[in-house]
Amino acid sequence: MAELDYPVKRPDTCAPLQISIGNVPLSLFIREETLLAPALRRYHEFAQNSANGFPVHLNEPETRTKMGEFSYLLDDAKLILGSRGAKFYGVRHEYALDSLLRILLTMVLLPQRGFLLHGATVVRDGRAYIFFGRSGAGKSTVASLSPEGSVLTDEISLLRYSNGCWQAHGTPFWGEFRAAGINRLFPIAGLYLLKQASDDRAESLSLKEALRALLPCVLFFTAEKRAHETLLQTLMGLIEEIPCHRLHFRRHAEFWKVIAA
Amino acid sequence: MPPAAFSPARRILEGDRGMKGYIVRNPKLAWREVDGEMVIISPEDSQVHELNETASLIWKHADGRSLEEIAERISTEYEVSLEAARADIGELVTALEQKQLVFVATEVKG
Repeated sequence: MAELDYPVKRPDTCAPLQISIGNVPLSLFIREETLLAPALRRYHEFAQNSANGFPVHLNEPETRTKMGEFSYLLDDAKLILGSRGAKFYGVRHEYALDSLLRILLTMVLLPQRGFLLHGATVVRDGRAYIFFGRSGAGKSTVASLSPEGSVLTDEISLLRYSNGCWQAHGTPFWGEFRAAGINRLFPIAGLYLLKQASDDRAESLSLKEALRALLPCVLFFTAEKRAHETLLQTLMGLIEEIPCHRLHFRRHAEFWKVIAA
Repeated sequence: MPPAAFSPARRILEGDRGMKGYIVRNPKLAWREVDGEMVIISPEDSQVHELNETASLIWKHADGRSLEEIAERISTEYEVSLEAARADIGELVTALEQKQLVFVATEVKG
């Protein structure tokens, strides 16, 4: 038998990078040093020793998508999600890894009453305030006007119902700040749809208005009807418990006064 | 999609006794009732539709029932004449059909 003249690394010899985001343990099997080093830097705040992380294999030889598996194509990269793990293909840089992780989390969190939202999360007096809206709404502005250390994310918030209440988790998914994130969770005090205005005021939203405001800001990547039904149920559970407002604000830290009121 | 004026639903409700119509929700849609009104999502294009109270009532009963039955229901619920209910739902059903939120199956009486 001919001997191989180069070392072969088998998947099972690759020690996974163990992380946990939103209390979802993940085992990232990354064999390429060019991806592993930035991933270690990017997710170090979310490192967690757990032998039971949901396995995520990066850039292994591609296999055919099986029945019942979810797949998502993002530029040159692809995510395949099955019940036993996920596979990421075509990941060339840390940003592609980050994007596929977000997509994966939306799918894993959904049956656990959790989701990702385009929003900044700021902690004040031990409670989380979610400021959400599409690009340009002012999420990064809110974050920049908040005290250092109080921002869990300036871009993608993670909301999840656990231990009898709705909680906001820190995420490694940041926009302009590009911080490492804070891996902590806090009970949610309120939801604020951002609207830049010439005055500061918080306008209470009805359930229907709140649902209408939240839906376009939820990160969601599947066209499955059942998944959408679950999302609607999850969002209704959230807004029935947590007050939702439209926050008219002047891009000034004074907006906290109307929130405290 | 035919112009609204030629909608079978409208023809039936405007008194075409030669036809009978049955209405069903588009089975591909996800929906939720919020404060008595429907919020509907089309999973394929993530489009969100909101229905008013009367359209929501039609939607709730769009499970294969006849348009006439729904008109009678609305007439009773809102205490309006059957003619007024027919006219209202004729317009609403046509609008729902055009957005492909419901389908109307027609039966031509022999």
